[in-house]
Amino acid sequence: MSTNGLIGRAVKRVEDKRFTTGHGNYTDDIILPQQTYAVFVRSQYAHAKIISVDTSAAKEMPGVIAIFTGADLAEVNGVPCGWQVNFKNGDTMKEPKHPLLVADKARHAGDAIAIVIAETKEQATDAAEAVMVEMEELPCVIDAAKAVQPGAPLVHDDVPDNKSFDWVLGNPIDEVNEAMSRAAHVTTLDFVNQRLVPNAIEPRSYNSSYDPASEKYTLYTSSQNPHLIRLLMCAFVLGIPEHKVRVVSPDVGGGFGSKIFHYTEEALLTWCSKKIGRPVKWTSERSESFLLDAHGRDHVTKAEMGFDAEGKILALRVKTYANLGAYLSTFSSCVPTYLHGTLLQGLYTTPKINVDVTAVFTHTTPVDAYRGAGRPEATYLLERLLDLAAHEMNVDPAELRFKNFIPPFDGVQQPGYQTQVALQYDSGNYEGVLKKGLDMLGYADVRRQQQEAAGNGKLLGVGFSTYIEACGIAPSAIVGALGCRAGLFESGQVRVQPTGKVSVYTGAHSHGQGHETTFAQVVADKLGINLEDVEVVHGDSEAVAFGMGTYGSRSLAVGGSAIIKSIDKIIEKGKKIAAHKLEASADDIEFASGRFTVKGTDKSVGFGEIALTAYVPHVYPKDLEPGLDFSSFYDPTNFTYPFGCHIAVVEVDKETGKVELKRFVAVDDVGNVINPMIVEGQIHGGLVQGIGQALFEGAEYDENGQLTNASYMDYCLPRADDLPMFETGSQVTPCPHNPLGVKGAGEAGTIGAAPAIVNAVIDALWSGGHKVKDLRMPLTSERVWHALQEVI
Amino acid sequence: MQLAGKHLIHAAPAKVWAILMNKETLAHIVPGISGLEQTGDHSFKSTLDIKLGPVSGSFTGNLQLHDLQEPNAFTLKAQQNSKMGNANAAIAISLTPVGDNDTEVMFNGDVKLSGMLASLGNRVMGGVSNTLTKQFFSNLEKELEKTTAP
Repeated sequence: MSTNGLIGRAVKRVEDKRFTTGHGNYTDDIILPQQTYAVFVRSQYAHAKIISVDTSAAKEMPGVIAIFTGADLAEVNGVPCGWQVNFKNGDTMKEPKHPLLVADKARHAGDAIAIVIAETKEQATDAAEAVMVEMEELPCVIDAAKAVQPGAPLVHDDVPDNKSFDWVLGNPIDEVNEAMSRAAHVTTLDFVNQRLVPNAIEPRSYNSSYDPASEKYTLYTSSQNPHLIRLLMCAFVLGIPEHKVRVVSPDVGGGFGSKIFHYTEEALLTWCSKKIGRPVKWTSERSESFLLDAHGRDHVTKAEMGFDAEGKILALRVKTYANLGAYLSTFSSCVPTYLHGTLLQGLYTTPKINVDVTAVFTHTTPVDAYRGAGRPEATYLLERLLDLAAHEMNVDPAELRFKNFIPPFDGVQQPGYQTQVALQYDSGNYEGVLKKGLDMLGYADVRRQQQEAAGNGKLLGVGFSTYIEACGIAPSAIVGALGCRAGLFESGQVRVQPTGKVSVYTGAHSHGQGHETTFAQVVADKLGINLEDVEVVHGDSEAVAFGMGTYGSRSLAVGGSAIIKSIDKIIEKGKKIAAHKLEASADDIEFASGRFTVKGTDKSVGFGEIALTAYVPHVYPKDLEPGLDFSSFYDPTNFTYPFGCHIAVVEVDKETGKVELKRFVAVDDVGNVINPMIVEGQIHGGLVQGIGQALFEGAEYDENGQLTNASYMDYCLPRADDLPMFETGSQVTPCPHNPLGVKGAGEAGTIGAAPAIVNAVIDALWSGGHKVKDLRMPLTSERVWHALQEVI
Repeated sequence: MQLAGKHLIHAAPAKVWAILMNKETLAHIVPGISGLEQTGDHSFKSTLDIKLGPVSGSFTGNLQLHDLQEPNAFTLKAQQNSKMGNANAAIAISLTPVGDNDTEVMFNGDVKLSGMLASLGNRVMGGVSNTLTKQFFSNLEKELEKTTAP
């Protein structure tokens, strides 16, 4: 119940004052007494045997405090994987140790061989260069599909064929094959969803200290989920009691998924801080970020979609090789499976679906969740197939979608939609977003322009992407049954201070999303108080009860719901206090606009007075505890399912192959919206990253396993002048199963954008008679030019 | 990275061969060399100082001459290490007589780069290797002039 209209209002972000005036407090800003600095000695080779590591000269260098190598950590566990996926035959996935420092072999360029700790970073850098490492380079394998071939070099000696696991989901393959055999048309696409580097603006940074008197550790970490890091590090890696570890994630400058995972450096610095008895800090160089921050995507896929003569989808058959890199990162195993295979229903009524995934180790940087995580791969697969099928069958791509959409359902009057791939969608109106997108675009006009352009020697193309995502991650019982080794609930505490000011403690973590504003809007609205009377606290394991952090567009849907539960408890208790004060029954008290009122009367008392009474309980109900402070945990009953329609219009230069993005229309339905400005900002940022994948980005390894574009000279990120003004629209289909009716908005842009662009370029090429099935992202001028030459 | 090319030298193959096989002259020919120590019949320990834009630094490692077919062909193998990364090269070199007193020197091989050299320097390595190759042949010609000078 909205009481002062703060929910739904485009309030300016309160955190931006400190971010834009240089008052942010990031991990690298923190300098502790007795601070020391760490630098790593890393493998230059993708795959090499370590013959010897000689630290004797380095140890004599000025300022050096300690140097540790893999041999010193033989007894220490590696970092764990947080999600167990089983082979088709039921065997547990292969989960080789991911050591904090490698002692025997380096398995990707950048694998850590030694840590050098010194008084200053410069001294540590100099000493690291004096560590003599003798290595014997071994053959390596980079490509996931090649890594499973007989005779491919093994990443881990005890993992045959480099297979971590194989996995299947959906209808039995015989049923899918039978449906496919009845198809009047089958569209087949072999494609690559290329590897991306996450590129958070703040490099990863850790600062760990140990106090021998209290036997307590404090770890400052640029993480998206400090409590999860504490859990994984204490219980699985170092075996230290959790209550003796405080983990703080202060301001964090972007993550996009790459700061979810528990990295080896976090645990190693913590281990070192006790060994040397001084705080140890490490901040990644940008060149290290490229090599070490878990990459995203990297799928090699064959997908087939069968249609009947009327254009209805009959079946979908998918085979994907997912590249895991050299080790299993924290959530790497669930990305190509439960965040990808489960989304292959898309927005369509496809009756038979089978998805088969082989997850493979290679001599490359580990791959894990990157904005969208699995869902962009699923969307790319489906939406590319839909537009290509439309071209092949010579039907309109929008019409083909309308023909196959799941009809609207609100999840209340009509039940949720049960997919063939395990999920049950909560609510949706898929034709609604496409209709709105076509209106905003002026579809008929654009098709007319396309014909005119062809007459003028230009190629104009329109590409569609109607996506769905599973967000609000996630119901613990469901993810537990699927192999997750954690619950994915959230905590939210609302502490009303005696003066009526409110502190909110959330287990979600803001690293750019604006929680300090959005969450404060929710609380201030519900309690009928001013926005500036609410403070949102996050990112400190000693301030916040517990938390699973921020990823998977979960903060508001899960974390916000926990806060709502606490607010409900506060209002309920407030009613009892008010009833006592107003000499009425608690059942007769109603709360609105910050006042407790006896129904049907003008007798009322303000929220501030109730707060004061709770802490100065002189006139107070006998059986009621003092104080006004509630903590709640919220475990969602389902995922949330935002969806939308993205349409790109591109112009392709026939002479040079250069692609110009002329227009981008995005209609997103993320359920109810708390702050439309923040949601639009999230959509814009997401779109840019999706467009980046389509047109600019991609990690390029050479055949020796060297990442050859590991700097901003060579890795191309989109810039403002590469982009048109986005045309965004919205539709609201509330989530039926959480109290705010919200679905999440953090990943939508990234999930929908890439296939719209590629489809638009292919549409442009078809309009000029170049019947291209696939173009490999990023769509560089060279690749498009070749397509223009080779296919007529 | 593939490395291939050819260069015409105004001297007979035997003369070019003699210069390339001589430690003292070799030290003048290889670009950036600041130390060359013979460790076997046809193997050397070397220090190279290269200063070419992003590929600048001191390289230490080995140079070896293999598959010697005097005076027609040999293979140069080099393993060089630096703070920036490692370079591993195997380059086949042939000396073909042209007319009475000229030699066409052809080279063809592969250079494997690792570490920062690969991730940061890859884009400019083509230009760097072209510059180094030019320096090499220019040095070789200077040496030949010295030996033919009266």
